[in-house]
Amino acid sequence: MKHQSKFSPQEQQHASEQQTQQPAGREFASVEEMLRYDAAQTPVPPAIAQRLEKSIGEAPQPKPAWWKRLFGGKNP
Amino acid sequence: MELLVSESLVEQERPDQPSFALGTAEFAELYQEHSRAVYYMALRFLGDPQKAEDVTHDVFLKVYRKLNEFRGESSLRTWLYRITINHCHNLRKSWHNRNLITNAADSVWENAASKADSPLRALETKELGERIQKALEGLSEEYRLLLLLVADEEMSYDEIATVTEQSTDAVRGKLHRARKAFAVLFQQSA
Repeated sequence: MKHQSKFSPQEQQHASEQQTQQPAGREFASVEEMLRYDAAQTPVPPAIAQRLEKSIGEAPQPKPAWWKRLFGGKNP
Repeated sequence: MELLVSESLVEQERPDQPSFALGTAEFAELYQEHSRAVYYMALRFLGDPQKAEDVTHDVFLKVYRKLNEFRGESSLRTWLYRITINHCHNLRKSWHNRNLITNAADSVWENAASKADSPLRALETKELGERIQKALEGLSEEYRLLLLLVADEEMSYDEIATVTEQSTDAVRGKLHRARKAFAVLFQQSA
């Protein structure tokens, strides 16, 4: 699906200026810009990856497809 | 809005195909690329870090098991958002607090249009997250969801329309109102 730019040139310029200036207080030209900044400042807790790794390790192996059981993994 | 996304596309079972389509390295790469988007969506949609962790874990576990069902008709990010939103939606339903503040959003910005046109300022970055959360919680679920989706640069308006099952024009119109409502609520949260 082709992406279209959702951001005006002013918004894009504002965002790039903020990346370089890093002022103490921040001003955002749009809600989207603010949320993107917030998302960038929000780390994913490492505990999730650890839990996920454990869950994947403990998950029962699913039954192989019926045609695999019949034909030993070769396509019928 | 009763259902935000199509359950059928997410929950479709295809038992005749093997699961675990991805090896560990590929799945780790997928997690690395998309986990922040999923976690942030869950965090700001639900407003609860612990629940956001649970949702992110459950979403990726589901993806790990069902990646073979992904047919590539939409982007992977779009598919992940469908699963995430469904998961969040189900959690909120179980809390019996859906639409608690729904419909408040429009009246908020209509009565304070001048505030909505001001730039959004935050003096302390550490307080920004709290104020954003407070403002988002004042919005209806639909507005909150649309704002979170449109903030993701990987999501086009067309994709947002697909995820939320409405027309692109409807998305644009609702986003216009959602932005104004958010701006007013954000100013009030200072």
